[in-house]
Amino acid sequence: MVPVRATFEKRRRAKYISHLDLMRCMQRAFRRAGVPIWFTEGFNPHAYLMFPLALSLGCESGCECMDFRIDGDMPMQEAMERLNRVLPPDLQILAVAAPVRKHTDIAFADYAVRLDSEQPDALRTAWDAFIAQPEILVEKKTKRGTAQVDVKAQAEIQDVQTAADGLLLKLRLPAGTSVNVNPGLLTDAFLAWLPEHAPEVQTGTVHAERLAILCADGTPFA
Amino acid sequence: MNLFEKIEPLLLNVQKPARYIGGEPGSIMKDKSQIKARFAFCFPDRYDVGMSHLGMKVLYAVINQRPEYWCERVFAPDTDFEALMREHHLPLYALESLEPIKDFDFIGFTLQYELCYTNILNMLDLAGVPVWQRDRGESIAPIVCAGGSCACNPEPIADFVDLFFLGEGEEVDLEVMDLYVKMRDAGATRSEFLKAASQIQGVYVPSLYDVSYHEDGTVKAVTPKDGAPATVRKRIIENFDKCPAPESFVVPFSEIVHDRAVTEVLRGCLRGCRFCQAGFLYRPFREKTPETICEQSKKLIDNTGYEELSLCSLSTSDHSRIEEMMDGLLTFTENEHINLSLPSLRVDNFSTGLMNRLRRVRSSGLTFAPEAGTQRMRDVINKNVTEEELMRTCKIAFNAGQTSVKLYFMMGLPTETDDDIRGIIELAQRVVDMFYEMERRPKGKPVQISCSIATFVPKPFTPFEFHPQDTREMIAHKQKILEEAVAGHKRIRASWHFPETSILEAVLAKGDRRLCNVIYGAWKRGCIFDAWSEHFNYPLWLEAFAEQGLNVEFYANRPRPYDEVFPWDHLDYYVDKAFLIRENEKAKQAQTTKHCRLQCAGCGVTKVTGHPCFDYSKPLRDLPEALTS
Repeated sequence: MVPVRATFEKRRRAKYISHLDLMRCMQRAFRRAGVPIWFTEGFNPHAYLMFPLALSLGCESGCECMDFRIDGDMPMQEAMERLNRVLPPDLQILAVAAPVRKHTDIAFADYAVRLDSEQPDALRTAWDAFIAQPEILVEKKTKRGTAQVDVKAQAEIQDVQTAADGLLLKLRLPAGTSVNVNPGLLTDAFLAWLPEHAPEVQTGTVHAERLAILCADGTPFA
Repeated sequence: MNLFEKIEPLLLNVQKPARYIGGEPGSIMKDKSQIKARFAFCFPDRYDVGMSHLGMKVLYAVINQRPEYWCERVFAPDTDFEALMREHHLPLYALESLEPIKDFDFIGFTLQYELCYTNILNMLDLAGVPVWQRDRGESIAPIVCAGGSCACNPEPIADFVDLFFLGEGEEVDLEVMDLYVKMRDAGATRSEFLKAASQIQGVYVPSLYDVSYHEDGTVKAVTPKDGAPATVRKRIIENFDKCPAPESFVVPFSEIVHDRAVTEVLRGCLRGCRFCQAGFLYRPFREKTPETICEQSKKLIDNTGYEELSLCSLSTSDHSRIEEMMDGLLTFTENEHINLSLPSLRVDNFSTGLMNRLRRVRSSGLTFAPEAGTQRMRDVINKNVTEEELMRTCKIAFNAGQTSVKLYFMMGLPTETDDDIRGIIELAQRVVDMFYEMERRPKGKPVQISCSIATFVPKPFTPFEFHPQDTREMIAHKQKILEEAVAGHKRIRASWHFPETSILEAVLAKGDRRLCNVIYGAWKRGCIFDAWSEHFNYPLWLEAFAEQGLNVEFYANRPRPYDEVFPWDHLDYYVDKAFLIRENEKAKQAQTTKHCRLQCAGCGVTKVTGHPCFDYSKPLRDLPEALTS
């Protein structure tokens, strides 16, 4: 039995697959690919597949992780090739390797966010005012109802750039099983703040992409 | 023009966006520069319903098997996405290419239930295609076509559709596409093409038929013109075992109603239950061999990756070689962790052998359809199931450890009395009593009998097409009787629905061409998704009827004499009207008719096919026990 950690991308059409649906999609892909995946034992055996960190709906990524075990002697490289032949073009495995770190080591994730607007300079001014607030409180859904979170304290804004068609942000946000913040929490708060504080600024689509999953020491999760 | 850039900004504002963006495994992409004709296969309901439909998967595979044709899928957007589409002027598009369907050659709708008709108008409108056939002009594309079970009486939507496919589509769809390409390339107009298409068996072009009415509103005559045939006969696939079946499905990302591999095991039904439209429409009875079924199932599982396999038919246990079939299927499904599920099992032939095989299959409870509570009533509808058989089957199920049984019934059947209604609960109580009389009954969970009671809808091409539906008041009265009868029975649960949807279903099923204006009026008033109780708005429908000077009672509650011209009489589904009349007369006397394998009932099918449906020289003892009584 060979444990495998696959890194895969989720782009274009595939970014609308919810986390639960992704699990089912991958299980079926293993069957189509003829990759002998290990089944759990017990009363109701099922293919063992583990996604250490969920990706929010609509977010692109080139660094998603999925763990499984090969139950047989198929080389992991062949498993990857077989899976890629039966997976949609927007959902492809990029690399396979033996897992090194534990799931609980995940601490942060990096994101690139693009806020479309035809008034990039005005949007930049609004953003600077928004982020200069001492705290940014948002409602966050948790397993036990909703909680108030200061998203400013949680987010490390690594870069802000004004582009011809909007605003580009680079964010580092807490990730993992204990605290997890997705970039939508911050951008939704900004978009909700805008009409009152900068009503003249029109915005379009928000594009988000996860760039990396990181451990507490800042090294990539692998 | 690909609409991806226009669709994308809207998707994060709607529920379950994966339904609207395609890209699922198994979806077929083609290079459109190599394509001669494009077919938008539209299911007039939501993605999760439409993606569960086997007929769509079959025709998707059949059309796409031809390299020069490209068939794509289209579903009705839910109301949240529809609002955004209209606000942003996003036309209805197909899920493979993400291109607007108004530029396609064919826009084809599958008609699975009558309450989807307003959705058809809404989808055409969203696509930017005129909803009325007469407004589409002389340019040949797009041809709006429709097929499926409701095409047996297409009159209520006749003015919206260029052509209907009657019967099975695997061959005729391609014949029509071939003709289209030939005529389009020669510069033909829409009406020239429709005239030529009407000569193909199984194609009905309603604009080539004039309908006249008597003063009382009944049909006087349906008159063909421009050389269209006086009667249009449905199509069937003669060699069903060799008929192409899909080797793969589009496997959805989001959850759908029936999310599994499905193999069709037989077509048609030999039982002849008098209320059942499918049992008459899909004749003759034809089955696939166990070898074909196993091979096709295996291929489907391998290509889709599904963890569950289901068998599809009107009555799977009537397959003449069911035990061989089950053994073959269980051999590979058990090895590969595949769940096998078997809907459409009949009460009377649930043999111990079959039960033993089923015990190896995980089951979430058993459902049976005795359809009526008393033997007299079951004889009237020719549901040849006796109480002893039901009891025996339930006992087998209880012995196997089951404690919950679901029973399906109807109310409002011809000749029905209040005692027949009370009989439903009495029958359920006898199942409960039998459970407690069993010495070795399952311990732990108490027995639970759930009775689901639907309002009967008389349908065309059945012996009950002559019958009025119960009025709203009669149904309300019977529901009250049920309520009183079930009170105090702790182990029985009974459920039923408000009758309005069944009334509208009866009207649309047996309606004429004048209903086109009613359907248009209802849609204009905002009616869509009528099959969904949260959307169904009966008062708006009544307004639309009143506006046209029509009423539901004329269509639903009027007994129809044998010599009346019915709106669908010019369509030939192989079954004679004379046979339907004979069956209706027998029903009145509570006389049953034997199933087709025991004795040919002379329904008219053999006059068309030219041969008996079964080899009656084969001794009955070679058949499964279920088919011999």
